[in-house]
Amino acid sequence: MKLEGFPQLVSLQEGTRVVIRPMELEDGEAVFEFFGALPEEDRQYLRNDVTSRDWLERFVRSIDYDTVIPVVAEHEGTVVGNATLYRSRHGWTKHVAEIRIAVARPFQHKGLGTALGRVLVRHAIGLGLEKMIVHVVENQIAAKRALEKLGFRDEAVLKGHVKDIHGIKRNLLVMSNDVSHLWEAMAELVADYSPTIGG
Amino acid sequence: MDKTEIRVGGLGGQGVILCGMIIGKAASIFDGKHATLIQAFGPEARGSACSAQVSVADEAIGYPYVKNPDVLIVMSPDAYTQFAPQLKPGGVLLYENELIKVDDRLPAGVKAFGIPATRLAEELGRKLVLNIVMTGFFAGVTGLVSSEAAERAVKSSVPRGTEDLNLRALHRGYEYGRQILSTSELEAPTTMRRG
Repeated sequence: MKLEGFPQLVSLQEGTRVVIRPMELEDGEAVFEFFGALPEEDRQYLRNDVTSRDWLERFVRSIDYDTVIPVVAEHEGTVVGNATLYRSRHGWTKHVAEIRIAVARPFQHKGLGTALGRVLVRHAIGLGLEKMIVHVVENQIAAKRALEKLGFRDEAVLKGHVKDIHGIKRNLLVMSNDVSHLWEAMAELVADYSPTIGG
Repeated sequence: MDKTEIRVGGLGGQGVILCGMIIGKAASIFDGKHATLIQAFGPEARGSACSAQVSVADEAIGYPYVKNPDVLIVMSPDAYTQFAPQLKPGGVLLYENELIKVDDRLPAGVKAFGIPATRLAEELGRKLVLNIVMTGFFAGVTGLVSSEAAERAVKSSVPRGTEDLNLRALHRGYEYGRQILSTSELEAPTTMRRG
């Protein structure tokens, strides 16, 4: 499967330009280096041990652009960001996708996380999905604000769900972006009974 | 006057009228021709028979009703049963080939082209866009509206935020149509002008 609409050139704050494109099998090493260079404090927010080669192998093998859709942000040939959309093609959550985003320290607070998130939100809608979720630790204020700009809202709080590197328990927020209204509007448009169709 | 008459038939909820509206809009607003649309639908929101009649011409259209269409687009077996015998001899039938079986009720010389539009729409992500797949198929097979005009008509007709999926559906139908035409010895009727 080929993803349409890529590569995308994005201008960040202060004029830095990055290219966002689908991650390919050949990007494995570059992505491994990117995750390895993240400070431990940032890596703790990730679901997997991204410094392990086993993880890299599993992750690269899972890329199919159908259920696992990763994109990378590149600056001067180096991977500086990664975002992945996960979805299921079967079962009771097949209308939902989960988005995970990671950005290199020098590129944080410049709009790269928002740009990566925007790309995947748009892609999720293009796949006909109805809802996206992200997990954010309560003290990730900038990330939370960026997600709110993309339409995500707090949906649930898992109290004391994560422990930071100092052993302090923190709340984990589940934020969601429900776009089912788009498909309801489309369903109304194709209902073939409204005399106002077409405005 | 060189006029092409089109009928779209199916069930409420399949987007029959939107399909007709987009064809008319593409031809008139974006390809600079003239077009009219007549729509007929049942009292129920979904499942009732409905149809659209579209006329496209280079000059103003004085009579918008379509009795014997040059092109028939059908998305349900009932619509096929009802409208297929009314096709002009030598006309074009575009049909959903996993829902409709073509039989001998077609007038002489009709060229029939099938597409599994419902399945293609589901594969793209939403069954809802089957009418847009059919619209793309219509543009690809007949060339009556240009692909650019069809794109612009779709973009300006669907809810904001759903453009990407709808455009992918249009392209899928269009490419399917072009492919089926290139592998077929049949060509669209000469009364139709390429967009």
